[in-house]
Amino acid sequence: MSKPIFELVNELPTGGLTVMSLRSLDFIIPGEWQNLVGFDNTIRTVTGETDESIIQQIGDRAVTLYNDKSQGYQTALWLYQTVTSGSKLLGTAALANKIGEKVSLLGFLDKITPKAEKAQTIDLAVKLVVELVAFCQINGIPGDSIGDFLGALGDYSGESLMRMAALVCFDGLIPLGPDFIQKVLSGFNTMSPQELQQNQSFNSVKDLIPGGNTEGQKNFILQSFDSVSGWMSGFVNSHNLTPQNVAQNLSSFIDVADDKLDYLAAFLDVSTNYYEHTGIQTLARRLVERASAEI
Amino acid sequence: MNFAKIQRILAPFLLGLLLLVSSCATQAPSRYQQAQNASTGRNATPAVVKESTQGSQFNKYFPKSGGGYQVVPAQEKKGFAEYKLKKDGKDVAVLSVSDTLNTPTAKQKFQSSGKTIAGYPAANIGSNGTAVLVADRYQVKVQSRDPSFSQSDREAWLQKFNLRGIAALK
Repeated sequence: MSKPIFELVNELPTGGLTVMSLRSLDFIIPGEWQNLVGFDNTIRTVTGETDESIIQQIGDRAVTLYNDKSQGYQTALWLYQTVTSGSKLLGTAALANKIGEKVSLLGFLDKITPKAEKAQTIDLAVKLVVELVAFCQINGIPGDSIGDFLGALGDYSGESLMRMAALVCFDGLIPLGPDFIQKVLSGFNTMSPQELQQNQSFNSVKDLIPGGNTEGQKNFILQSFDSVSGWMSGFVNSHNLTPQNVAQNLSSFIDVADDKLDYLAAFLDVSTNYYEHTGIQTLARRLVERASAEI
Repeated sequence: MNFAKIQRILAPFLLGLLLLVSSCATQAPSRYQQAQNASTGRNATPAVVKESTQGSQFNKYFPKSGGGYQVVPAQEKKGFAEYKLKKDGKDVAVLSVSDTLNTPTAKQKFQSSGKTIAGYPAANIGSNGTAVLVADRYQVKVQSRDPSFSQSDREAWLQKFNLRGIAALK
């Protein structure tokens, strides 16, 4: 059986690479993300209530809501967790590919390892679709509601906005450069369904991606990414984001060289799980909000 | 005493010590363990019963944006709908309608309060919530999310719902 929601929230770390990497993005959205951890603490912070009997009632109801699979909260968590572990495997593949480029002896790895850039474009697009599908699961709207998601994106705040900031920076700007949006769009336009099928990130979550078959899912991913591209480029431009200034803010705990940003991206990929971390925080917040309304 | 003998004695000793330490480290059960047990396993109580009203049916009875306030959709599930109330881009309150078929104990507070708003039984919940019970079934609630949003604001916003419309859903 999966872990109770209160344990998941209580076990969220207050330090480590994931938390440090997210804190490094505070310069983009100052004060927006507080790394809220602890189940009771979440209830108190979200509702402002201090009465222990009220907190107990809210927590009990939130636990019950989470455990009812029909409510979608567990599916959302599964998505956040799975896309994280998928990206860890991808990270290993991407690193192997890097070695392949440097050392000729290992050059044959190119044949079985996707090109780092292609793998990254798929990874980024799949993560974005996971955000969309998880959003729909948590908020109770149909899973292909790109329009609803776009509407809500403008209102994203706290850990949800931080997750999107990290997506743009760690999965877009750093590994793919300033034209990451174009790279994903053109990459998907020329991609065959077979290529998508070979991708670990896609495979791990494909059962929950709308579209019917791989071709349809590819189109859904492309359509979703295209729809959100305006928001993403607006985010990058309005905050003057570049791969360099994002990397610079990471340099307090990672030794970064400007010409090694692809290594930095691969390192972040295998060593952090910001999607799962902030995903649990989003989930806890939504559960508490609903529970607090229903008691 | 040779080395092998020491090893023979040491191994069970260390194992025992490990067990002792790990058993002491076991945490006290969570205050939510009872709810966890009741909502998992074969005889689990579902969080939402199938007779409850669809959240989408509540939408049109929510207050509209106006007077410097924005009403923004947040969650919509079976038996539940929620909107955020924003002012100057900041969350000031949460507006919700829920079906108490899923939370029967939520009705108790209305019996003991003796308070009414717009003719419906009303109650305060904690320090930030005020609610009315419509048609003895639907809980309409406003919760402050900013200190500037007072109890009288909550009461005023409760009256901006189409409470009669909600009552007719039953």
